[in-house]
Amino acid sequence: MEAIAQGIREAAKKLLSQGAVDCVIGFAQGTVPMRDYPYFAYTPEEADNLTWSRFCCNNLSNFLVRREMGEAGKVAIVAQGCVSRNIVGLIKENQITREQVHIIGVASPGMVDRGKVQALFPLKTITEVTEDGEDLVVKGKDFEERVPTKKVLRQNCYTCVQRNPVIVDEMIGEESEATHGGNIDKVAAPWEKLMPEERWEAFSESIKDCIRCYACRDACPLCYCHVCFVDEARPQWCGKTQDEADVATFHILRAFHCAGRCTDCGACESACPVGIKMRGFTSKIEKDIRELYGYAPGMDLEEEPPLSVYKPNDPQEFIK
Amino acid sequence: MYARRRFAVLKNLLEYVGIEPGRLHFSWISSAEATKFQETVIEVTDAVKALGPAKHMIKDIRKVA
Amino acid sequence: MAEKILAKDQLDQFLGKLAEGREVFAPQDVEGKVAWAPLEAAADLLWDFSNSDMSPKDYFFPQTECMMRFVNKADDEMGMIMQAEPELNTPRALINMRPCDAKAFQVLDLIFMQDEMTDDFYWRDKREKSLLVGLACNDPCPTCFCTSVGCGPHHETGLDVLLVDLGDKLLVKAVSDKAAELLAELPEAEQADLDQAAELKKAAEDMVEANVGVATDQLEGREVMELYEAALWPRVAESCLNCGTCTYCCPTCHCFDIQDEVQGDEGRRVRNWDNCMSWLFTVHGTGHNPRGSKTHRVRQRFMHKFKYIPDKRGGEIGCVGCGRCVQLCPVNIDVRSVVNDMNA
Repeated sequence: MEAIAQGIREAAKKLLSQGAVDCVIGFAQGTVPMRDYPYFAYTPEEADNLTWSRFCCNNLSNFLVRREMGEAGKVAIVAQGCVSRNIVGLIKENQITREQVHIIGVASPGMVDRGKVQALFPLKTITEVTEDGEDLVVKGKDFEERVPTKKVLRQNCYTCVQRNPVIVDEMIGEESEATHGGNIDKVAAPWEKLMPEERWEAFSESIKDCIRCYACRDACPLCYCHVCFVDEARPQWCGKTQDEADVATFHILRAFHCAGRCTDCGACESACPVGIKMRGFTSKIEKDIRELYGYAPGMDLEEEPPLSVYKPNDPQEFIK
Repeated sequence: MYARRRFAVLKNLLEYVGIEPGRLHFSWISSAEATKFQETVIEVTDAVKALGPAKHMIKDIRKVA
Repeated sequence: MAEKILAKDQLDQFLGKLAEGREVFAPQDVEGKVAWAPLEAAADLLWDFSNSDMSPKDYFFPQTECMMRFVNKADDEMGMIMQAEPELNTPRALINMRPCDAKAFQVLDLIFMQDEMTDDFYWRDKREKSLLVGLACNDPCPTCFCTSVGCGPHHETGLDVLLVDLGDKLLVKAVSDKAAELLAELPEAEQADLDQAAELKKAAEDMVEANVGVATDQLEGREVMELYEAALWPRVAESCLNCGTCTYCCPTCHCFDIQDEVQGDEGRRVRNWDNCMSWLFTVHGTGHNPRGSKTHRVRQRFMHKFKYIPDKRGGEIGCVGCGRCVQLCPVNIDVRSVVNDMNA
């Protein structure tokens, strides 16, 4: 992993010193364990702060549309599979052009789910987590333990089928062949097997801790609307209270707005301060998009987005 | 025709999170099909009545908080 | 009043008394998370925990709170006349509150109960009817920086009682006279207990001091506009998502939005937490937004806590150093580095 980080730093330095880009968007080491953070390097010296690890849980493509500094210039961005798929999506949705981004590609190692690591040490304060080969070394005040990284990856990383970037300008390190052993068709839409009443219970249980901070929305590269529907005031589509109906309205509609666009990058779940697992319901939409329209978002720059086209023989049993 | 795709996904999503099947209806009705419109409305209201009052996504402002 | 001793195996009796005429709440292990919840038994109390993930501010300032109700009919005798919601029925006791959270409520008192004209009934009602029993921190987290913002792991401000965990017993210190009756029958502490507590306090303070802290000494003398226009803000804002995580987990963030909701003939006025990170928070009816960019919004939060509140409230800092935002920010914006940059 350190070799990749070194490769990223070198690539970034080269691009910045040549003036090929204004800024390199990557990750830097965070001040708390397992939280490396989006970092913007503007000079070759700043590029020394770049890193790469299994703690890089934000989707950097988000910042291609949310950045306020130097918006006109060309930027380089570190992108693994899912991030590159979102870049494709942003290009297709006319938010950026291909020429504006230089993609520094990396194969995703699979990112760590902080919540899973914390759950192994209930109520304990974790002071440091480092990667050591295939293990994490987790330290607290009175303990130090090794945890196999494979056991604590984010759920979406197990079922990822695209760890390598789909578009790339330069690749750092080797492409990766293996998946992490999951099969999305077996785990997507986990509540389908339940009865309607049980489904509502499962859904409602999954969002019960929501504090409506909207970190899931704000961490998502698909949610670039200048005014989100929950922030519309005239008319106000969605109530502001903690009433279950208001909270559920937010989650259902946000998920639906991502239909046919979500790359299952997991940034929403990683950002959530209360550990809500949105993939419980977003995976249903992605499954439908795959099954009904044979589409996987962000794999191809040319393919038309599934909800912007139709075929005469699209399924319509539900229409009377 | 675009709407057909969006409705398909929306209907599946709502039923997936526990809105009862039968509460959501979709129909193609032209402005010239008054009879079909009338029949469909009757069908829909009957189906929804049979299900009884909605149980979810109901906000009651009389409740505390 | 002299310090008392409460053996942990006597806690059920103590809690029994505490619960007379009160609802008792405490941080507990709720599905693996430390969360505030109604307390059933002393066995559910936690002794080895850092702090609850979310601050207990919603006991005084609920995320959603109905303030008034009205009949939504202009021709009704009572039509459109606001009726206040009833006061809190049962007083509350919040036990094992960390000193930083209690200090935060004292800071919020300065804001919600400023003077005759600015005296929030909803806040005051719940504050006056709550007994706060604190639990001193013997083992602060690496993200704690309370000692650098005028608080501390054994701080008493805002509490009615402070407990110090001495192992199988607790040192009980009355801070206000609100709980005098409860503590009257407890045995007095011995010198050895006091010494042990003093050692624990010193050790905990040393631990916090060893962490990264914030320096605020230069901020008071600096012009508002100088800080406002400082070069650091665009870089701080760069990675910010403008989500509300930092504000909603924060014990001192207190902004809200008031709305009227109607359903048929019923109506209510309800207030909900809101936050300065949100675009909607400041947008005007005209469409103009005085905090139109992410940079404006990020700056507001730090300026409010570390410049505006201290300037307006006699030097009191609007942050108690609990470190929740440091732990929960999805992009690791660390308040300590931001404030140290402001102070530099």
